[in-house]
Amino acid sequence: MATARVETGKGYVGELLRNRKFLIGLIIFLTLLTLAVAGNLTTDPASRRSGSFPARLPPGPGWPLGTDTLGRSIAVQISEALPKSLQVGLIAAFLGTFFGALIGFVSGYFGGMVDAVLRVLIDVFLSIPSLLFLILIAALVKGVNVQAMALIIGAFAWPSPARQVRAQVLSLKERAFVQVARLSGMSGLEIIFRELMPHMLQWLGANFVNAFLSAVLTESGLSLLGLGPQREMTLGMMVYWALSYAAILQNLWWWWAPPVLALICLFLSLYLIHLGLDEVSNPRLRSQA
Amino acid sequence: MAYLRYLGQRLVILVATIFISITVVFFVPRMVPGHPLAAVFSKLAAMGGSLNAPELIEEYTRIFGLDRSLWEQYVSFLRELARGNLGYSISSFPSHVSDLLKPAIPWTIGLLTVTTLISWILGSLIGAVVGWRGQKSRFFQALVPVALVLYSIPYYILAIILIFLFAFHWPIFPLPGPYSVGIERELSLEFVLDVLRHAILPALSIILVSLGWWFLSMRSLITSLKGEDYILQAEAKGLSDQRILWGYAFRNALLPQATGLAISLGHIVGGALLTEVIFAYPGLGSLIYSSIQGKDYPLIQGGVLLIILSVALANFLIDITYPLIDPRIRTERAGRG
Repeated sequence: MATARVETGKGYVGELLRNRKFLIGLIIFLTLLTLAVAGNLTTDPASRRSGSFPARLPPGPGWPLGTDTLGRSIAVQISEALPKSLQVGLIAAFLGTFFGALIGFVSGYFGGMVDAVLRVLIDVFLSIPSLLFLILIAALVKGVNVQAMALIIGAFAWPSPARQVRAQVLSLKERAFVQVARLSGMSGLEIIFRELMPHMLQWLGANFVNAFLSAVLTESGLSLLGLGPQREMTLGMMVYWALSYAAILQNLWWWWAPPVLALICLFLSLYLIHLGLDEVSNPRLRSQA
Repeated sequence: MAYLRYLGQRLVILVATIFISITVVFFVPRMVPGHPLAAVFSKLAAMGGSLNAPELIEEYTRIFGLDRSLWEQYVSFLRELARGNLGYSISSFPSHVSDLLKPAIPWTIGLLTVTTLISWILGSLIGAVVGWRGQKSRFFQALVPVALVLYSIPYYILAIILIFLFAFHWPIFPLPGPYSVGIERELSLEFVLDVLRHAILPALSIILVSLGWWFLSMRSLITSLKGEDYILQAEAKGLSDQRILWGYAFRNALLPQATGLAISLGHIVGGALLTEVIFAYPGLGSLIYSSIQGKDYPLIQGGVLLIILSVALANFLIDITYPLIDPRIRTERAGRG
């Protein structure tokens, strides 16, 4: 049994690495990550303060990506912003996937009244633009930091995984191996964790990446509205500061372009990774092209 | 009969959405530590003891019964809401929140309906053609990665790039704003054209991104329909390629494509609100943005509630018209939802 599992694992990873979308996405993502970590390790936190550099300079030696109106280096900012944006995404995606999977499992497995209620809840929260609830909360919480932001976003990230896990469980639970487990006296939770979970893991991975992507998206959206962490730097906050100092119209392209490009690369890479994971775990989705 | 049951299910979702969102909007400010009007007080303090301060606080306490129990407060909140009373704005007291929201609504609805319809129709048509004949043409193949990149960019990021390229670098389009500064606001051809010219870039940023998505989804739907029995039969009957694509494959793919529209409406609206902010477009998104900047919590609350309820209603309308294009849902599918 153990060896069989290792073999399927290898096959899965191998198949993933042969998937072009996954591979391109992974390379872009790792490049971003490496740049961010390297930048973060080589910068002195003191240089993050405003006025550490001369203001409004185009890229040059000492400030490879230029400086902003407040005398901050764009390169230093981005080396702080990228890891923090990733942190928001990671925490929120973990919370969303975990609670989403839990709700989906319970709803799909137990059925009946529990399912009826949870299904309505899932449908309702799916149809409401969660950004709006987040605006409502973030506007009240004073001085959010990156972690608080991640928690708030994560609290609304469960509906989509919940819906999909529920559908998966519904189709899995009628299979013979689940029936056997039930007949042999396993409890509901045991069946969920020992029999159903292993089937769902690959597929939860795709969901996790998706939740990651939408959490980073939400963070940048909230920051753009002025609801982001004011004392810390995230990619969304960088865009926010650049826009509130009219960086476009003052032709300070080196201020707004790096965070915008970083966001595009991040979204594209996560989306490609998500597509790759989805295709490998659902062979039916593979395009014929 | 089955249609009625389906209608009933959708109605339950609609009512639940309205109820849950109103409840969340009511409880969120009360769950956060501090007085529910803390935002009001801090704003008043920041304005340096404004003239209207005591009246405003008194009025709030009276309308929302803040000295009474939570349950009574909730009931009076619902009662005022049913009358369309969303309270008073703080930054422009004594204006009602509802009076401030009203002028913003047409801008948002105009921008959203036009862009969503254009991108959905155009994306579905191009997606169908490329899905049907894609393999034969290099050009069609090249569209796929382009759409993929476009779709993965959020509207508001594309908006920034479009402003830089087409309003700043090559000033083909006007700078962000609803209309030119100093133009007469009247119903003249000049004014209408000016508004339209200002709307092109915001519309383009939404259309390009969502076009990518509708294109990709229609393409994969058509590709997956190709091997179906009824398509093969239509081919065997000798029907023309055009007729099979538009009369058979496309019609069937329209159904999931319409469901897709209902599902993603919330995302489209959320993204469009941010696009408005970037373009200083005077819709609900910009109104919420300025109320955040002005710490005008009742206005934020009112705007958020209005948008959530409209999205819920729009979803409901798409859901109940859906069976009209899908006869199956009236019979077999109804039970499963």
